[in-house]
Amino acid sequence: MSYKVTEEGNISTVFLNGEIDMDVTEKAKEVILPIVESGKEVHLNLKDVSYMDSSGISVLIESHQKALENDTKVIVKEVSKSVLKVIMMAKLEQILNLE
Amino acid sequence: MKIEESKDFLVSSASLKDVRTFSREVFDKINLPQDQKDELILAIAEAAQNIVKHGYKDIGETNDRMEIKISLKDNDLEIGFFDKGKAVIPENIQHRKLDDIKPGGLGTFFIKQIMDAAVFKKDQKEWVNHLVLTKKI
Repeated sequence: MSYKVTEEGNISTVFLNGEIDMDVTEKAKEVILPIVESGKEVHLNLKDVSYMDSSGISVLIESHQKALENDTKVIVKEVSKSVLKVIMMAKLEQILNLE
Repeated sequence: MKIEESKDFLVSSASLKDVRTFSREVFDKINLPQDQKDELILAIAEAAQNIVKHGYKDIGETNDRMEIKISLKDNDLEIGFFDKGKAVIPENIQHRKLDDIKPGGLGTFFIKQIMDAAVFKKDQKEWVNHLVLTKKI
């Protein structure tokens, strides 16, 4: 997994790339959670994420919950078809902010 | 159609990518819709992840290996997982309730969603756990 972070005003966009599994979840959390904890709005762009398993879904849930705690939000954007299928299998499409 | 392929992997989260690659290579030989192949690969990866995450919890790094065997006979797909981690007590395995939104606990739920059955067998002397996932395809 690789990533890129861009900032514009109070919005940080995290572009994740590759496969998100248990092996990279800590790295993903290390990138995303500090930004959320800083109170910024985070846009997670998943257009280049080709695979995500339950560990990756956990990162999305934890980021979403951390955002609620910090009175901000995480918006999951440009979800690839394969990742959307896993999100829907977990019945999280109504819980996460998907765009 | 008949296929039987197996491969062993170091019990490590770093092996999960290799598990997926192996699974993809096997399913590429089977005429199935890509969506179904993706689901089966997810189920296999989740089961392998459970071995790494739960079977070796508190053990840390290990040189142990786990084996995955994918068999197809006619339309009966069987995927075996063999490991030497902590003995699984099937009655204790629970996936989380979907309305309980929290990180974790989804892997077993995904496996149950995708496969027809998941059964732990006690038929292997050289392994501690033998999980068999089956699906009619």
